[in-house]
Amino acid sequence: MRYTFPDIYNESMQVFFMRIQFNNKLEEKLILGTLKLQKFFIYRVIQRTLLLIFPFALFGSFVKIIQTVVIGKEGFLTDVFPDLSNDFIYRQIDNIATGLYNLSLGWISVIAIFGAAKYTAKHFNRDDQLAGITGVSSLLIIDYTYSKVQTFSFHPQILGMRGLLLAIILGISIGWIFKKTSRPVPDYVKLGGAPSVIERSFISAKPIIVSLLIAMLFSTLINVTYYAEAPGNYINALASEYTSKSPLGQLFKTFIFSIYTLVMSFFGWSGTYSSAGTEKMDTLSTVNLNYALNKHTAWNTPNPFTSSALYHAFATFGGTGAVLGLIIAILIVAKDEDFQTVARWAIIPSLFNIGSGLMTGIPILFNIIFLIPFILAPVANMTMAALAIQLRLMPPSVYPVPIGTPGPLIAFIGTNGSWQALIFSILTIVISVYIYIPFVKMAIKVKELDNLSLEEGVN
Amino acid sequence: MHTRTLRKNKNFKYLVAMLLFFIILGIPSYIWTRKNVTTLAGRYNSPMTPIIMIPGSSASANRFDDLVKTVNNKYGEHHSLLKLTVHTDDSITYSGKIRANDTQPFFVVGFQNNADGYSNIKKQARWFNIAFNAIKKRYRFNSFNALGHSNGGLIWTMFLENDFNDSNLNINQLLTVGTPYNFEEKNTSNHTQMLNDLIKKRDKIPNNMTYYSIAGTQLYSDDGIVPLGSVDAGKYIYEGKAKHYTLITLTGNKAQHSDMIASNQFITIFHQYIIGNGVNNPNSPDSKQSAIASQ
Repeated sequence: MRYTFPDIYNESMQVFFMRIQFNNKLEEKLILGTLKLQKFFIYRVIQRTLLLIFPFALFGSFVKIIQTVVIGKEGFLTDVFPDLSNDFIYRQIDNIATGLYNLSLGWISVIAIFGAAKYTAKHFNRDDQLAGITGVSSLLIIDYTYSKVQTFSFHPQILGMRGLLLAIILGISIGWIFKKTSRPVPDYVKLGGAPSVIERSFISAKPIIVSLLIAMLFSTLINVTYYAEAPGNYINALASEYTSKSPLGQLFKTFIFSIYTLVMSFFGWSGTYSSAGTEKMDTLSTVNLNYALNKHTAWNTPNPFTSSALYHAFATFGGTGAVLGLIIAILIVAKDEDFQTVARWAIIPSLFNIGSGLMTGIPILFNIIFLIPFILAPVANMTMAALAIQLRLMPPSVYPVPIGTPGPLIAFIGTNGSWQALIFSILTIVISVYIYIPFVKMAIKVKELDNLSLEEGVN
Repeated sequence: MHTRTLRKNKNFKYLVAMLLFFIILGIPSYIWTRKNVTTLAGRYNSPMTPIIMIPGSSASANRFDDLVKTVNNKYGEHHSLLKLTVHTDDSITYSGKIRANDTQPFFVVGFQNNADGYSNIKKQARWFNIAFNAIKKRYRFNSFNALGHSNGGLIWTMFLENDFNDSNLNINQLLTVGTPYNFEEKNTSNHTQMLNDLIKKRDKIPNNMTYYSIAGTQLYSDDGIVPLGSVDAGKYIYEGKAKHYTLITLTGNKAQHSDMIASNQFITIFHQYIIGNGVNNPNSPDSKQSAIASQ
């Protein structure tokens, strides 16, 4: 089979392409599409930014384990092993962990905006250091709370993982403002003279002022509208308040909100369902729980297709997107050293459903190749779970599950130790591994081609 | 054949470690979930700790509108407010709305028949129980804080003694303002019929509840309506039964019976003890725990 390749690749690339075998049309399209996408500077900026925040995300995810699983009020280990708790030592660990978390994963967006603004400015040959710092200031200005109680405080939601999309868009915009309103920084090394600090500052004075003023405007808007109910609030309200009587309606609702959550998480935004399971139990789940407690069984509960029975039990192991399947897939098939290293490091947080290390390290975020399995694996798991519940092969999860319970055990605990549910969890993991495997292979091919094109200087 | 290639894979040990981890944690989880489901009648994962308020006689469910507005403005908080009115035929009408994700909303329960007098208050306590069960069923919280103004405090006391016996539900703090436990009687040694009835059932007062009682005084003796001695008589009910019983005397500007809930002193006390400034109440919006949960 011969393929015609885009003209942008030179002779040696053509040779390399021939060595890569595409298994089918979809794979070919996806790989070539991704390669084309990677030519855009915005895509490059996003990728480099994600690499920049990866170590902080990984570190933060380890701290988060300590924070929610070990010492959290409703955490898994505190619940299952209550004797471990010792007030004084607990408080100390809690304080330390909170500090470490808040200033690693908790302000990951601040680091991201630094990267996004810096790399964009660098691409346009502007002062990248100042652009990055302007980005940090702008994000913090936008996020600043106009509070009379705490004089120096920020809305914590936007600073963490959930603000990533905003931070990246904002960072790129600031880099672009630098391009529009300032001239390129002279290359002092080439000129041979020492850089004049004053000159350098004044070149970038205009974009800094413009960026900060725009940030001020946004900040005012956010603080004014904070009292109003934001769209996200409406969707959350819909997810927890709207209840459908028919099982089909419930099934539909759970799937829609799950897919919404998955797509949003893929773009570094927040969805309706959290993978930590901290959101309010909806009314249907409560009805289920009462039923199960009265009848002493989880079988035949009135609402079998709630988010806790499908999404939380079968679609979140490893974190949003069933990424435990991805880790196992990488460990089995990936020859690539980088992938392997990230996957090994991400094992421990992922066991407790904290996937942020993997999301930024591979990266999964904004990575078109992984968009398909990221949605497909959870949806496939949920579909099978729904079928199994409908066919009475296993009971739905209705009992309370502590926060940070390892993914494969959620259904087991949520059904009060039903062996069918445990076996089914293992089955769904195996299936998600199989779903992820071909995409891992594709991602490796993309990486090889991309590295080569970088070496050849095509980019 | 396939397993052999897998075993050669250098990541085999990681996969085995993962499997071991699940098995090791799976066994205690199994034991825990068995025990949890049998011992707990139900533990809802609710982050909500509402503040439930009862106005005094001849006031409607709108009595605390200004208080909520002031608290929200002064402290930069965003508590939502739902007002319930229980009618004489036991039906409930609602006004206002609870915002999704509000961890500390306000509920105000008013009564169509809001007249004074022991027989009316007994009726109101029964109506309150209807309203309380309605919001309990709808919002599924495991703990709440309470405020009662004037006779509202009597309704709380009757409710706690007669109707509140839910082991899944905790009342953390109760704050009452100018509650006449002995009606207009100044002398604490003369017990009215109502006080005697309340003392008789004092064993039912939840022993993990912290109670703050505020008495207003102008000219040393009363707040213009309720005598200091009548508020003070609450000690015969709560002392030794509630976890803590604190009596606060409020004087100065706006210490009059009806004005008290608009006084700055009261609002500070209310915010500190009932809403919590992040130290007393782990569920308050600016405390650490909820900051983690909101991530």
